[in-house]
Amino acid sequence: MAVLTVTNLSKTFNLGTARESRILDDISFEVSGQTFVSIVGPSGCGKSTLLNIISGVEEHTSGDITLTSDAGGPARMGYVFQDPRLLPWRSVMKNMMYVQDDQSRDTVARAERYLDMVGLKKNADFYPGQLSGGMQQRVGIARAFAVEPDLLLMDEPFSHLDAITARGLREQLQDIWAQSKKTVVFVTHDVVEAVELSDRIIVLQPGGLIYEDITIDLPRPRRQSDKAVATLQADVLARLETLKAMAAAEPVAEPVA
Amino acid sequence: MTTVSDQPTSASSTVGRRRSTTEIEQDTPQWRKVLTSDPAARVTSLLAFVLFWVVVSALFDRVPGPVAVWTSLVDEFSRGEVFGNFGSTLYRFGVGVALATVVGVAVGVLMGLSQLSRAFLESPVLVALSIPAIIWAFLTVMWFGFGDTGPIITTFLTSVPFVIVNVAQGVRGVSRDLRDMSATYDVPMGRRVRDLVLPAVTGYIAAGVRFAIIIGWNGVLLAEWFGGGGGVGYRARFWYDANRYAGFAAWVVLFVGFIVLLDRFVLDKAIQRSFRWRDAR
Ligand SMILES: Nc1ncnc2c1ncn2[C@@H]1O[C@H](COP(=O)(O)OP(=O)(O)OP(=O)(O)O)[C@@H](O)[C@H]1O
Ligand SMILES: [Mg+2]
Repeated sequence: MAVLTVTNLSKTFNLGTARESRILDDISFEVSGQTFVSIVGPSGCGKSTLLNIISGVEEHTSGDITLTSDAGGPARMGYVFQDPRLLPWRSVMKNMMYVQDDQSRDTVARAERYLDMVGLKKNADFYPGQLSGGMQQRVGIARAFAVEPDLLLMDEPFSHLDAITARGLREQLQDIWAQSKKTVVFVTHDVVEAVELSDRIIVLQPGGLIYEDITIDLPRPRRQSDKAVATLQADVLARLETLKAMAAAEPVAEPVA
Repeated sequence: MTTVSDQPTSASSTVGRRRSTTEIEQDTPQWRKVLTSDPAARVTSLLAFVLFWVVVSALFDRVPGPVAVWTSLVDEFSRGEVFGNFGSTLYRFGVGVALATVVGVAVGVLMGLSQLSRAFLESPVLVALSIPAIIWAFLTVMWFGFGDTGPIITTFLTSVPFVIVNVAQGVRGVSRDLRDMSATYDVPMGRRVRDLVLPAVTGYIAAGVRFAIIIGWNGVLLAEWFGGGGGVGYRARFWYDANRYAGFAAWVVLFVGFIVLLDRFVLDKAIQRSFRWRDAR
């Protein structure tokens, strides 16, 4: 598990020739312990940018971010990117091992286990180019699980998969999360998915402000047939609709000069 | 509903229909496959060159023809001049190119990865790039006299900038997404170079080494030409000074032939091997 604190975080991209655009605007939140947080919001509102900043691959313009493991040391991170990001010249198994600290036989066995979990055990020797897009995405998921991170970042991991595969992996994710005690920050545009999985939903609005921070306190496993789940889903969806209407009514945000 | 027709229904004549690879394979006559194959094109190219050579040498009497060159070559063999001289050139050339490859890849990777080292090394490399082989040949003869050192250093100095420039260019082009991925997972530097950077720049390394070989052989021959410590360049000059152009050309042909074979059968194979992942379909 990890402790992640984000305080007054802002991000502006420099567009060259003195133009810049503000993507995240004064965002603050804190996540710790065995929490599953979803970040939802319309396309282009800065969800991937936020994950990139948390992971450290993108720099933030102002504000503070701290990330530690709950034991106090540096947090081990796993990141399922929006695209697979595999080394095309290495086999699936070698890709799994590329991100592992130690290369012992135990680790290989663990990597194999997670590969099996996403249903790709027999493709271990394939090159990424020999897999379908969804299969590549599953390798990316297995890779993130296999490092057994304190903080797991996931950027729309299931959106390229068929409904049945996605449901299976969603269940696996919940099991892993429940057993292995990790903090998960999960980006999705699928409200149904967010309500099913999360303890908390952070809704981002265009312009990169937090529109709403919803805590969900429903028992698991949550089923569609459950009335409370369905009501909440409808509720969150309605709020997103308002948000969309609001964004459409506003004039398109000009880049700040 | 079935339509009966007395026309033979030939599948391949149906408009808009695409043929399968199996069908194409079956329909292509054997003679066409042979004539349009890669080896056939290579043989044709070689024959065309020889023909051109014959014609040019018939027109100008200062151009030795293939037969004269071949005879000189056989003479050199029977005199016992070939193995010793060719061997020492090969040794100098091999060591020089190997050094250039190792140093060039290391410096190129460094320049590609670190902004600071690029700023520091860019100008010296550009200067080195523009110094012709003949300058290095003169300098090394002056510095090291006769022997192996001069030609080796000349080969190295003329070819290493090309490897550096190519590799640095390739490293800068390595996918940002994959570098970010490696950073989030804290992959150790050594592994990043081995599993991410080097495979991504294989094509650039290969291009660099090819340049190194072609530029390097200029270097080694010139250094031997002026150095006088034996070797292909030395023998070529010997015949040149004696006004025997066929003898001169024989040595050039020998070495060029060797380079072509090296490229074809060693370098090409190695490149194909390292691109297996791309051809796996
Ligand atoms: N390097 C960059 N330079 C300039 N602008 C950028 C850069 N990267 C992202 N942006 C802008 O930041 C905004 C947010 O992008 P981001 O990828 O975070 O959106 P997102 O919420 O993940 O959207 P989606 O749901 O479609 O994935 C977009 O408007 C995009 O144009
Ligand atoms: Mg995104």
